[in-house]
Amino acid sequence: MPVIEIAGLRKRYGKIEALRGVDFSVEKGAIYGLVGPNGAGKSTLIKALVGSLCPNAGTIRVFNLDPIHDRWSLRKRIGYMPQSAALYEDLSARENIAFFGRAHHTLQLNKKLDEILDFTELRDRANDPVHTFSGGMKKRVSLACALIHDPEMLLLDEPTAAVDPHLKARSWDFFREMAGRGMTLFISTHLMDEALLCDSVAILRRGQMIAVDTPQHILQRGKTRVVVQQGTQKQTTQIASTPEALANHLHQYGLSPDVQAVALQQDSLESIILSLVNKQEEKL
Amino acid sequence: MTHTIIVAQKVVHQLRRDKRFLALSIVAPLIIIFFLKLFFDTMADGFPVERYVVPIAGFLVYFFAFLLCAMVLVQERSQGTLERMFVSGFHKRSIISGYVIGYLGLATLQAAVALGEALLLFHLDYSAQTILSLFLPIWLLAIDSVMLGILVSTFARSEAQVFPFIPLFILPSIFLSGLLIDNDRLPVWADWLGHIFPVYYAFDIIKGIVLRGEMFVDHWSNIAILVGYALVLLFLASATLKDVE
Repeated sequence: MPVIEIAGLRKRYGKIEALRGVDFSVEKGAIYGLVGPNGAGKSTLIKALVGSLCPNAGTIRVFNLDPIHDRWSLRKRIGYMPQSAALYEDLSARENIAFFGRAHHTLQLNKKLDEILDFTELRDRANDPVHTFSGGMKKRVSLACALIHDPEMLLLDEPTAAVDPHLKARSWDFFREMAGRGMTLFISTHLMDEALLCDSVAILRRGQMIAVDTPQHILQRGKTRVVVQQGTQKQTTQIASTPEALANHLHQYGLSPDVQAVALQQDSLESIILSLVNKQEEKL
Repeated sequence: MTHTIIVAQKVVHQLRRDKRFLALSIVAPLIIIFFLKLFFDTMADGFPVERYVVPIAGFLVYFFAFLLCAMVLVQERSQGTLERMFVSGFHKRSIISGYVIGYLGLATLQAAVALGEALLLFHLDYSAQTILSLFLPIWLLAIDSVMLGILVSTFARSEAQVFPFIPLFILPSIFLSGLLIDNDRLPVWADWLGHIFPVYYAFDIIKGIVLRGEMFVDHWSNIAILVGYALVLLFLASATLKDVE
């Protein structure tokens, strides 16, 4: 049974219609990416899911509960990380996390705090006030606040926006680890490369879902241009974006007929920079 | 109730951590009372200083308690922590009550320090019973002010939006309170308008104690109005604070 079910969801702010009839569902235990440019309605959708805003039309069920009417039952089961840090800057990381932990009546809070501080690699700075933290560290404190009560589902609004490549990679390691523990993650992002890291992706534009699929299937909707240069002759051919299509195309240039699929896995600029940073850190 | 205590503890914790904010909250009224002393020292002999000093000290507490409480709650909204509190299971009643309890400590401290300085600087030689009688209306006024700050914060989306409420709610209250001129000399509508501000009733108690030697308990109707005012503001703040957009 889906953990999120949305049908015909609409939300209007004055003259602006932020959500224009959104339908989709999310299965348990997956990393679900909500991808779209700024202003697409991603934050509005997440706020509707956590019960922070009341839609104008449509239905939302989260764990088969209504986020507005069943909010008190639902809030124990979800963790929410807003787009802004949403932390008390004068309090320490530990005090911030403990405040939200106490709100959920978290059992064995001190033990849980130590675990979560280790998990988010904040133990060394746990007692420092949050205003002394970098943007990336604040994101981790914010994530810890959302995780302290062991929710079944995490709703993260642009958790890696304005975060450096190293921390972004670590964050996705966190997310994958949490999904491995059976948690459902609903993550919004405007970074298209992050969509590839999700199990399923919904693309939102101007308040409407324009595609819902696995990242692989979405990639296959694209075309690959193969440019072959022989002597002074350059020929460009457009083929489907599948390893099989590339192998088929290369057969005419003498690729052995036994080869059924060819895939190029080129490092992105971000992963190259990340690898350089990691090598430098190893040296230090 | 547990959530109320959690919010109150958080507010007290924040105040203790932000020593600059705490110090300014206490020191700012003291500085103004000091300048008040310089001003009153220029007055001719026989000027009834005692008629003005304690009410003005009370008004300063009222002003600062309102401003600080409203600003901090608006900050909760603009930084996203208010939304996070709601999503974490805090009910709006718990948040408001937690803030009232947390800020009551600060307002009590402000009231005690401001009254203490006024008594010392102006050499007002009152009995302990009279001082307690003077403290209580200032303290009740501070509670009303915290409530008013919470109510106003529900209408403001940013810290800057709190400021227009000062000329709307705070400044007229002192002109219509009967302190600067007797309300009999005002148009009837202005006199009635003065009655909607809690400052009017707190000053009436203070004037009775200072000028006629009465005690706090002699003003039970004014006390009831100040307490009622706090309850009405608490109700209105609960009704206007939105937990869902």
